[in-house]
Amino acid sequence: MVVGGGICGMQSALDLANSGFKVYLVEETTSIGGRMSQLDKTFPTNDCSMCMLSPKLIEVDKHLNIEILSNSQVQSVEGETGNFNVKVLKKPRYVDIEKCSSCGDCFDVCPVDLINEFEQGLNTYKAINKRYPQAIPSAVAISKSARPPCKLTCPAGCNGQGYVALISKGKYLEALDHIKQWIPLPAVLGRICHHPCEQECNRNEVDQPVAIAPLKRFAADIVRQKRKDGEIPPEEKPVIDKSKPKVAVVGAGPSGLTCAHELVKLGYPVAVFERDAAPGGQLWSAIPKYRLPKDVLAADIKDIVDLGIDLKLNAPVNGQNGLEALKKQGYKAIYLAIGAQKSRSLPIPGVDLPRVLLALDFLRDVNQGKKVDIGNRVVVIGGGNVAMDVARTARRLGAEDVTAICLECAGEMPAHPWEIEEAVAEGVKIMNSWGPTEIVSKNGSVAGVAFQKCTSVFDGEGKFSPTFDESVTTSVDGDTVIIAIGQATDLSVLPEKTGVKTTRGGWLIVDPLTLATEEEGIFAGGDGVTGPKSAVEAIKHGHEAAVSIDRYLSGLDLGEGREPKQEEPAPLPEGKHEKKPRLGTKYIALGKRLSGFDEIVTALTEEEAIKEAERCLDCGLCSECLQCVAVCQAKAIDHDMKEEEVELQVGSVVLAPGFEPFDAKIKSEYGYGRMANVLTSLDFERVLSASGPFQGQVLRLSDGRHPVKVAWIQCVGSRDQTCGRDYCSSVCCMYATKEAIIAREHESTVQPTIFYNDIRAFGKGFERYYESAKSKFGVRYVKGIPSGVKELQQSQNLLIEYTGEDGRKIQEEFDMVVLSIGLQPSASTRELAAKLGIERDRFGFCRTDELAPNITSHDGIYVAGAFDAPMDIPESVMSASSAACLAAREIADVRGTLVTEKEYPPEKDITKEEPRVGVFVCRCGSNIARVVDVPGVAEYASTLPNVVHAEENLYTCSTDTQSKIINAIKEKGLNRVVVASCSPRTHEPLFQDTIREGCLNKFLFEMANIRDQCSWVHASHMPEATKKAKDLVRMAVARATTLEPLFEHPAEVKRRGLVIGGGLSGMTAALEMAGQGYEVVLVEREKELGGNLWRIRYTADGADPQALLASLVEQVEKEPKITLYRGAEVKNISGYLGNYTAEIITKSGESINVEHGVVILATGGTEYKPAEYLYGQSDKVLTQLELEEKIAGGSDDVSKLNSVVMIQCVGSREEEHMYCSRVCCTQAVNNAIKLKELNPDTEVYILYRDIRTYGMNELLYRQAREKGVTFIRYDVENKPDVSEENGKLTVTVYDPVLGAEVELMPDMLVLSVAIRPQADAEDFASRLKLPLTQDGFYMEAHMKLRPLDFVNEGMYLCGLAHSPRFISESIVQARGAVSRALTILSRPYLMVGGVVSVVDADRCVACLTCVRSCPFGVPRINEDGVAYIEAAACQGCGICASQCPRKAITVQHYKDEQVTALTAVLAGS
Amino acid sequence: MEVSYYPGCSIEGVAREYGESVEAVARMLGIDLKELKDWTCCGAASAHATDDMLALALPARNLETADKTGLDLVTPCAACYSRLKHADKALRAGEKIEGVSDGYRGDFSIKHLVDFIWEELGEKAILEKLKKPLRDLKAVCYYGCLITRPPRVTDAGNPDNPESMDNILQTLGAEVKNWSYKTDCCGADHALTMPEVAWKLVQKLFDMAGEAGADAIVVACPLCHSNLDTHQEEVSAQAGKRYQIPIFYFTELMGLAFGDSGAEKWFGRHFVDPRPLLRQKGLL
Repeated sequence: MVVGGGICGMQSALDLANSGFKVYLVEETTSIGGRMSQLDKTFPTNDCSMCMLSPKLIEVDKHLNIEILSNSQVQSVEGETGNFNVKVLKKPRYVDIEKCSSCGDCFDVCPVDLINEFEQGLNTYKAINKRYPQAIPSAVAISKSARPPCKLTCPAGCNGQGYVALISKGKYLEALDHIKQWIPLPAVLGRICHHPCEQECNRNEVDQPVAIAPLKRFAADIVRQKRKDGEIPPEEKPVIDKSKPKVAVVGAGPSGLTCAHELVKLGYPVAVFERDAAPGGQLWSAIPKYRLPKDVLAADIKDIVDLGIDLKLNAPVNGQNGLEALKKQGYKAIYLAIGAQKSRSLPIPGVDLPRVLLALDFLRDVNQGKKVDIGNRVVVIGGGNVAMDVARTARRLGAEDVTAICLECAGEMPAHPWEIEEAVAEGVKIMNSWGPTEIVSKNGSVAGVAFQKCTSVFDGEGKFSPTFDESVTTSVDGDTVIIAIGQATDLSVLPEKTGVKTTRGGWLIVDPLTLATEEEGIFAGGDGVTGPKSAVEAIKHGHEAAVSIDRYLSGLDLGEGREPKQEEPAPLPEGKHEKKPRLGTKYIALGKRLSGFDEIVTALTEEEAIKEAERCLDCGLCSECLQCVAVCQAKAIDHDMKEEEVELQVGSVVLAPGFEPFDAKIKSEYGYGRMANVLTSLDFERVLSASGPFQGQVLRLSDGRHPVKVAWIQCVGSRDQTCGRDYCSSVCCMYATKEAIIAREHESTVQPTIFYNDIRAFGKGFERYYESAKSKFGVRYVKGIPSGVKELQQSQNLLIEYTGEDGRKIQEEFDMVVLSIGLQPSASTRELAAKLGIERDRFGFCRTDELAPNITSHDGIYVAGAFDAPMDIPESVMSASSAACLAAREIADVRGTLVTEKEYPPEKDITKEEPRVGVFVCRCGSNIARVVDVPGVAEYASTLPNVVHAEENLYTCSTDTQSKIINAIKEKGLNRVVVASCSPRTHEPLFQDTIREGCLNKFLFEMANIRDQCSWVHASHMPEATKKAKDLVRMAVARATTLEPLFEHPAEVKRRGLVIGGGLSGMTAALEMAGQGYEVVLVEREKELGGNLWRIRYTADGADPQALLASLVEQVEKEPKITLYRGAEVKNISGYLGNYTAEIITKSGESINVEHGVVILATGGTEYKPAEYLYGQSDKVLTQLELEEKIAGGSDDVSKLNSVVMIQCVGSREEEHMYCSRVCCTQAVNNAIKLKELNPDTEVYILYRDIRTYGMNELLYRQAREKGVTFIRYDVENKPDVSEENGKLTVTVYDPVLGAEVELMPDMLVLSVAIRPQADAEDFASRLKLPLTQDGFYMEAHMKLRPLDFVNEGMYLCGLAHSPRFISESIVQARGAVSRALTILSRPYLMVGGVVSVVDADRCVACLTCVRSCPFGVPRINEDGVAYIEAAACQGCGICASQCPRKAITVQHYKDEQVTALTAVLAGS
Repeated sequence: MEVSYYPGCSIEGVAREYGESVEAVARMLGIDLKELKDWTCCGAASAHATDDMLALALPARNLETADKTGLDLVTPCAACYSRLKHADKALRAGEKIEGVSDGYRGDFSIKHLVDFIWEELGEKAILEKLKKPLRDLKAVCYYGCLITRPPRVTDAGNPDNPESMDNILQTLGAEVKNWSYKTDCCGADHALTMPEVAWKLVQKLFDMAGEAGADAIVVACPLCHSNLDTHQEEVSAQAGKRYQIPIFYFTELMGLAFGDSGAEKWFGRHFVDPRPLLRQKGLL
């Protein structure tokens, strides 16, 4: 198992899978590719990161033996090496990877814009998204957090975020349809719902809640209007299935109507029985018109009834006849939604007086337009919402003095706060904490009400139990008293004998989950069950009842799976949320409010509604509006996917979880996150990227202007104790240099400045790159890290203060600042390591032993890449291969046992047939079809010569279309197949495989790219795009007719390795290879094994290299699989991949031939013997290795030294040798510490140019400074001067910080000398036809992604032959090289042939053009005197074919006539 | 809400208007300032430059008193705040301090008044008292170097960009300008010994406040105030251009916005008279 799908994890997985193992690749995000996918170019070659990565992604994706587990996390690893049981948590992607064709149709309909993390927040992407276009697995994914509080709070479960998001994008009909899934009365509820969703809205924490309810009203109203205007078609009606059992609903209030609505949509015949003359229940009778206009109510109800409900008005269901009669009429289920329509009265004297009214009766009369005489003064008893409605209605009827008086104190009133506020605004007086004792009369008429003080309403348990103080009384005068203290239900619906039970308070008793009464087939809900509650709660009951009735009538279990779930709502999303005032509750003028029953809250305008909807913070990320589901033609989306835990059996584990960038906000002095034009280096990568948010233009975030002066600040979150990151992140100096160069390449006006501590260009080719940045690209390097960045408010430019060369403070203005942020293990990596019990250092990096790299504290688990230590891409790739080597060794004996190889039916011979071409044109969902006339193209294709079949498909890559292609081959006798769809880069292998399954040779396939190169780029020119698509198809068909079958044949692999060089790297490689079960021939030209390792006495960590050396030599000598030649040399190597022959001259001068399949070159390097600084002339001048020898030897002299000077970069980083020797700074610092430990009084001076103690070596540098080692910088133009007089050394050096010369008189001068290639490297390389770099080290196939391979396949390199490096790094390379070699050695044979160059011997004149032009050195002149190209070695690049002046060479599959066939038909058009 | 109150010496001398406005605003916001009994100088101006032990002992003595009350301790002076926090850290670390007995419990927090008002009372409490929004008043908030720094002593979450004063002023309706100089040093410590250095630092603040579009600078420290307010003529002379920038205590503006009748009197004590500006904005 490989954990982490970045470049490192991918390399490990590929090495393992290519050497015969089944690999699970576990990736935390939804796609592999890691950080490298975010980078623009890479140093030092300026290659495009994505272009390099993309083929690797596809290789991993298509690999039969790699299974990608994306969106997954390792939970635990149990067991032991060779037999681990791993639990992996697979998080839901909500998209079926198999079905999704990644067409992106869903992006267009998704209403939710989220901060695009891949683009570093520089733009947004949709909640359904693909991290980047080339992402693998090539399927979209949905970003979801927990469900939003609005949805979870709604009693009916209505998804507020969903419809609000849709409204924000102007999708009103979609919003309304969404609302109606839960709320069948949207215009009503949009007005009168008490919207608990808004109380819980997370936006409350920022300013005010989103106007969720008013937006519902808006959606309902605007769609109704647009339907009226004919802009939107009427709602579709369900088909009612007359054969289904009939259902009766009693009561046409919100609950009854909802139940009927749901059931009719399921096809049930439903009748609703309403005793009143109009439907709506209390919505009709009790809610005043100023809150809910009657036409709105009627329209909402009409929409429901029009679905096909049989609404019976004035149809009371009473007593014995009622329910029984319904049953007799054939209603198989009945829902009692009878409400709570009766007002309760008070048991006090005077309630029988005229003008003592009950609230609901009063409201009903007013609503029906009856004239109700109430006089001028009205006393309302009660403090609930009904009381407020009553009081406000009374005001509208002309009563000037209206008082609502209640038991509760102000904070306890049951009415909603806004109802009270509105009432007070309308002049209603509120009196709290009074209980009525009597309605006072005068002359038989009401005169007022007497009250006593209420001291408390609820008892200790919160139950209603009022207490009074009789001694405190008051009275209120009034002409009318209206009692609004509670409601009751009318139970006359029930017959005398019934199974339906009621409570003592007179409410119906039901099963709370299913709403079933105790009588079979009778269900009940709404206020009749719960007592007076809100409309939305009644609606909730309506839904539940419908579910129960459907299950009851279908004979299913009523309760199953309906237990309420406790879900934690999504919190307020992180980040700063700008305050924006709420729009939504605007009232009409007060005078107008009181003069009639006009609706008091005005409607949102369209503009306001969108603005208000945009205030939603998308708490749940995905809004679950389900638009994607509707649009996805592949049916790939499943919002109900759950996370699952899988258990896997694996033999070993490679951890390659990578790094996360340092959070630049921690270094707040640099203003990141606060100043618009301060970016991080990763942000800047996206700015530079051609596929990034600015299409590669360098722009400022504040104003979109092109910046001129751009500054980089190095070491942000590196080499910095103040933020707990003392280590060096190793890569930042180089990436900053690269970014500066590329920025200039993008905009020549950019003037880059890099503020740095030390430029650490220590890798292969880095120094030259750094030099070119200065000399060729004008990058200015300023030594010193600024302490902060200031921002100018007018220009948003940035001020940086630094010290100039002359020691004076300089303040400089920049247009943009880029922070070079460091690397650190991510939080999830730390968690993973903790779960697995992997030891880490104090920074969180994996702890490994210096001489045992990649090996964690947990047996069988190996670490690779940036979790080990900060490192760049090539180091990660080498580390990946090294870890793969270790992981394979554990289970080498089961290699090949779990691999899958595909079996195919026999191929059909078509050579004698006329071409019969089948053309498959892809719609790609709507990706192609919305621009290109796909049926037209298919039709056109069918008219082309040789085409015998043409069709169009929704997705040509889908599994069903694959079978259609195979069938067509068989049924129509196709012998060539053309697919017109997307890019062959991603899809050609798939289709080739398909036709091979259809018994055709895979080379009889051709592709036309009518998506990426047509519909995507010509969206605004549809007719022309169709014409171009036809051209492309015609060309593809023309070429297809010329295609011929090609065959690959197996070539045996000599399963033996040759390792050249018996130093640390060579011995390590030989042992690893032998350990994996392969024979090795190890050739060392010296008499002893060991090479440079002999001279290294200690390491920075205090490990013992000599013990390692002894152990390696012993193991090599003992290993039976290793054939060792000491004192021998490899003279020549001939042959090709898998089949080489080496000529070895042994110690005795004998020449022997060894056959082998692969070569690992580990020929090492050598220490430079300086000609400068009196070396060799004075015995006081030593090299670092010589000093090391003395220290390790325990020589007394070294502890008695008064003063030691060390000079760095002797023979490195100069015109002739423009490379850094990488190890010398650490070596010097380490030796300096040793000297200080031996004698703290020894003065040690290190004269340096840049201290390059990268990675954890930085800690040594700090330690040396703390111990008092003095560091003096010098410039290369001003090197130190060394002289000796009378046996006394004098070192003079100009110190730029002091601005003066310093004269030192040391007892010893130690030179940090360069590492050089072997003296005979050039000669050896030319014999083996291997390339060298400018500096004489061997050159790898590719600096970034193939660092251990030679271009010549089957040849690998490691150790100092590659470049200068530390012991641990050499070990990594040696193992890595073995891992690469195993991808060949593990196979018994290789398939060769196919797309390769073939020589026509008759035409060849042996002019050597091909021999000279082949970059791989494959063609040679054979015994017959003509060119010969070994198929096994040929890469099929075609250079020789294009160069051959006699046209004697052709590349198979790209013959001249095959290429000209394309152009001929294009020209012919 | 009861809190211990350490006013500091400046409040009784050069910064009387600060002291009065602090008391007035606290009263209106319902903060009951319990002045520490028998408090002494914290030694900010000179003790820490003279004697390490004295620098801790002076504030520690006051902390001992606060410790007994157990109430959270609030001070309006940045320098006092810094010294109190230093001593508190030392006491918590168990350092022996001369003249201070063992047994410091320290179960109270020490806050600068500006943080206290924003963090403990916040937007709602301020809006409730707001009578006269400071509309059109363009200001930058200047915190100086001691309220947030060093963060290991002050525990400031965002030492380079504190926001409590900005938030308060914004809530009061002022047009608070963003700038990068909130916590730059004004050189007050050198105002007497090396005045030309201090003036240069002050000049930079004036220039950058102007660049940010501010008409005034708002402070929360008597030392900053006196350094910024009293030397504008010298700064002008040294810079060769005329500066006349009103410097407000944030509490003065709170008092003004809350409609306190004493506000005008406080402004009368400034070297640079802020009243013309306030009149021009219709705030007086």
